[in-house]
Amino acid sequence: MNLNKENKLNGKDLINIGIYSAIYCVLVFVAAMLGCIPIFMPLLSVIIPLFGGIPYMLFLTKVKKFGMILIMTILIEIMMLLTGMGYFPLLIGFFAGLGAELVYKSGKYQNLFKGIISHGVFSIWVLGNYVLLCLNPDSYFATRQNLGEEYINALKGYTPMWIFPVLLVVCMVFGIVGGYLGKALLKKHFRKAGIA
Amino acid sequence: MNEKKRKLYIDPRTKLLLLVTIAMFVMGGIGGSRMLPCTIVLCFIPLFLLLIQREWKNSIIYVLLYGLGCGMQIMLIPIAEGILGMLLLTVCVVVTRILPGVMMGRYVIRTTKVSEFVAGMEKMHVTNKITIPLSVLFRFFPTIIEEYSAINDAMKMRDIRLGGKKALQMLEYRLIPMITCSVKIGEELSAAALTRGLGAPVKRTNICKIGFGVTDYCIFTICMIIYVFWITGFV
Amino acid sequence: MIVFEDVSFKYAQNTEENSLVKYSMHIKKGECVLVCGPSGCGKSTVIRMVNGLIPHYYEGKMTGNVKINGKTVADEELYDMAKLVGTVFQNPRTQFFNVDTTSELVFGCENMGLKKEEILSRLDSVADKAAVHKLMDRNIFKLSGGEKQKIACASVMTSGPDIIVLDEPSSNLDYSAIVDLERMIEMWKNEGKTILIAEHRLAYCMKYADKVIIMNHGKKLKELGKEEFCRFSDDELHEMGLRSLKNTDSRRMSIYSDTRNKMVMNNLRFGYDKKNKILDFDKIEIPAGEIVALVGANGVGKTTFLRCLCGMEKRCKAVLQYGMKHYNAKQRMKLMYLVMQDVNHQLFAEDVLDEVLISMADENEEKAMEILKMLDLEEVAQRHPVSLSGGQKQRVAVASAIAAEREILLFDEPTSGLDYGHMIQVAKLLKGLKEFGKTVIVVTHDAELIENCCTAVINLEALKNVNNK
Repeated sequence: MNLNKENKLNGKDLINIGIYSAIYCVLVFVAAMLGCIPIFMPLLSVIIPLFGGIPYMLFLTKVKKFGMILIMTILIEIMMLLTGMGYFPLLIGFFAGLGAELVYKSGKYQNLFKGIISHGVFSIWVLGNYVLLCLNPDSYFATRQNLGEEYINALKGYTPMWIFPVLLVVCMVFGIVGGYLGKALLKKHFRKAGIA
Repeated sequence: MNEKKRKLYIDPRTKLLLLVTIAMFVMGGIGGSRMLPCTIVLCFIPLFLLLIQREWKNSIIYVLLYGLGCGMQIMLIPIAEGILGMLLLTVCVVVTRILPGVMMGRYVIRTTKVSEFVAGMEKMHVTNKITIPLSVLFRFFPTIIEEYSAINDAMKMRDIRLGGKKALQMLEYRLIPMITCSVKIGEELSAAALTRGLGAPVKRTNICKIGFGVTDYCIFTICMIIYVFWITGFV
Repeated sequence: MIVFEDVSFKYAQNTEENSLVKYSMHIKKGECVLVCGPSGCGKSTVIRMVNGLIPHYYEGKMTGNVKINGKTVADEELYDMAKLVGTVFQNPRTQFFNVDTTSELVFGCENMGLKKEEILSRLDSVADKAAVHKLMDRNIFKLSGGEKQKIACASVMTSGPDIIVLDEPSSNLDYSAIVDLERMIEMWKNEGKTILIAEHRLAYCMKYADKVIIMNHGKKLKELGKEEFCRFSDDELHEMGLRSLKNTDSRRMSIYSDTRNKMVMNNLRFGYDKKNKILDFDKIEIPAGEIVALVGANGVGKTTFLRCLCGMEKRCKAVLQYGMKHYNAKQRMKLMYLVMQDVNHQLFAEDVLDEVLISMADENEEKAMEILKMLDLEEVAQRHPVSLSGGQKQRVAVASAIAAEREILLFDEPTSGLDYGHMIQVAKLLKGLKEFGKTVIVVTHDAELIENCCTAVINLEALKNVNNK
């Protein structure tokens, strides 16, 4: 086999992407059940990166070629689109996935530490779910102008713009923590069980 | 991606358009107050589709939740005070913004076969590097759920109960076998799929018939009107 | 057609043993060949070399040469092999790529990029030949094991390969589903397909097999014609680790226990939805302290019965009368332990010892080691349960049941897909449990297991009929 062929994604890789994305999505949906109570929604940027690290780190053991992480993010975003979270996650997810891919690639697809960092970057996709809700509160609340200036100001206060950078950092930090968690379980279970 | 019989055929691409449009205007609130009539129309579309599908229960839930969300907002605004009132209000706002999209998504998932969805994506020239993993993903959901419920049963039998220090361990005992079993099944699944020629460098055929009908054109028209209305807002 | 020349293979994960040693065979076009031998003898490896999964999917060290139709498998791509060879696998749960049956039937053709009209006409003719009209456009997850295997066979046919290989296809099937499978093989044989079957259950293959290859430790022991092979007595077969040639229908077996000690399930009524009651019995008597086999066709509700019995189905309001006491579902859960068919679901901990410890009311390492010793698991106490062999996993599950001091142990198909030696091991395990004072209830299709260890047989189908009258 020539080099070119080995770098191209084959059937096995594509199926692997599907399988791990499915596991990841199930975890996300379970976590999202918590997010059904809207007050907990910001908490999702903690929970999803934290537990997502487990399947992600396991997935990385199968990643040897360019594109696998990127495709995984795109799949997750398509699922988000299908569950009504809109198109914005797709955009953010694309860049988060690309970033994560490049980070892991820089470690030649075998550096565990880079893998953990890569999960931190990858986790930024979670942010996409908030964007439409928070990005332009002005225009949205403008539709309810008759509801009173006071209310609008108060709500704006509750979803201020500074929440974005904060959530971004939270996602990344817990993404890295989740990466470490995944790494620990990799060692504790998956290697011994013979699947990593 | 359910086998439930659907009453009205809508092309998967049209469904995607609806999902995106609802996300933009209802959830995103793009366009501001002048878009309000459009938003209301968009909120009715999922309800309309659910009713055609005869999902009475879901329709009622949707109407109740949405009505409650709107009603509470109007009621609460004059009296809402302090953190608690604000929180409650936020909850209502978020519900009314997310719910239509979620219901639409639910409808799409319940009425679209995986192969139809994939056929739709292929028509939109999405590469098979995405469509193949995507069909694996849909195929795999029921498997993971099966695995999870079997593990759950086994847990009950073992009499390992939730509580105190063991809470984290409980999570580990459920999560790890679920992942392990799923991955093992995945390995066999992928071997089986490969012996049937998945991943060949030819253009895959798809025997699924998809195409636009009257309903699709109606939905297009509605969406187009909304987009045009939105764009004229800038002029 | 299929040629193996001095082939050896070692899996990448397995560092100790070669899975195949200097193996050679020639199969002519239109022949039907049965490969048999105890578990781990290398018969699955042979199958995987024919369909190309080795060396393209399973990694390892391979020497020698495998040729199909004159082409060297190692030089071909997997998707090219797919046109030549079709495969039916053992586990009906894991060999489907699609959620609905029709997509599955045409999956191979779609991958080849055939024309739509061509695919549809093939689909029609296969549906006729394989008699799967009734199964079209259904959710695969809701089919029975036999139906799933039928779909698997039919979807191989739509791709139209000349060679069909089957890797233990009958492991999860009951008697009548095996008869269907036999018919399928007959049809292929008449169409002139080359067929290679790796199997434990020999009886159903014998009618159409031209040749039998017996393997052990990765080597070919014997290559015999059908007549020669059929001359072996059961004892001779058992010595080679093979199952009996008789195809006994477990439903026809009856063993009565004369014990007076009985437990009674009263008012056993249960269905997964409101309309269909799968179980509907006023009472069922089960002898206590025995090894009770529970038989009946697939779909009659054997597994459901076990689930209700052990209290896993909370909606089942039946009450068990055992000894002097009455047990409801919740209480039964602490009295019994079900060893599931897929025992992987029951293993949680990071090593075997831990697995036993978490089942104990008070963790006691000494006692746990004792239990492990009793079940011959001492040496693997530190291993991860998932990494063990199937039989060991089963014993780990039993160990945790003993540790939890359950009195009644239930087994769901503990010998599906097992060779003679492992089946005897399970029989010994069950006998040991009986001597230990436990009641064992085992759902099985395996006539040989029943002959070997069961001391009572309950036929759920017959009971159902009596009840209906």
